[in-house]
Amino acid sequence: MLHVASAFCFFGGSVAAGVLNVLAVRAERPSETAFLLRLIRVVLPVVFVGVLGTFVFGIWLWHRLGFPIGAGWIWASLALWVVANALGGIGGRHQERSRELAERLAAEGDASTAELRALLRDPKGTAVSYAAGVATLAILVLMIWKP
Amino acid sequence: MLAFSRPFWPLFLHVLGAMTLYGAFIAAVVVAIAGHARATLSSLAIAVPAWLVTLAGALWIAHDEGLGNSNATWIGIGHLVLEPGVVILLGSIACAFWWTRSGKAVAGRVVAGLSLVYLALLTVALLAMSGKWG
Repeated sequence: MLHVASAFCFFGGSVAAGVLNVLAVRAERPSETAFLLRLIRVVLPVVFVGVLGTFVFGIWLWHRLGFPIGAGWIWASLALWVVANALGGIGGRHQERSRELAERLAAEGDASTAELRALLRDPKGTAVSYAAGVATLAILVLMIWKP
Repeated sequence: MLAFSRPFWPLFLHVLGAMTLYGAFIAAVVVAIAGHARATLSSLAIAVPAWLVTLAGALWIAHDEGLGNSNATWIGIGHLVLEPGVVILLGSIACAFWWTRSGKAVAGRVVAGLSLVYLALLTVALLAMSGKWG
């Protein structure tokens, strides 16, 4: 139960952060972009509880349910968990840079610039965030499929 | 794919839909409390397809595993939260729409309250279903 609840925090928190990020990218004014990107910080504790809980309770379940030490799907899930967190961290730093620029522009007349639009729609930053989402989804597939 | 499609897909869709629904309501609660009407409406709009996928997965599992007449508490809680929950979901969307149109603070407070209540109900449901209560 605690492992699944943690997974809901991990996945649900990531969905919420993703929604706020997409809304921030689509916002017209830098002040609105900065506001929505700031709100991601509110959601992050939910994600962190999920990240920690899925690992701790997952390892506990591994031992308790007697899955073999060589279970490939569990090792693959652990690798994807590391990848998802690393990519999420990189994506988060990109969002922080966008937020800082948006806050500066908001204080200087609240008009969007090409630099902010380019930063928000940066293909690398977007790809990293989507890759983190795909890795998280792949963990869910492995957890339910248990190949 | 076909080899595991029967047991895999219904549960996968049910859980994926439920997790997305949960995330959409977390986002809705956060932006509603922060006072952003348009973002609240957008977050709640994402919850609609997620709710449909969750329900479709649940009905598929119930059909395949013959759980339609089950008296298990955890299934009852799941049904109670998911199906009548659409009233809260649609009520939240209606209030969020009213909020974006009117800009009235009371509409925002109603959306935040409804979303928070549904998020709490979803939390109880996910704990009941994952813990197989009763």
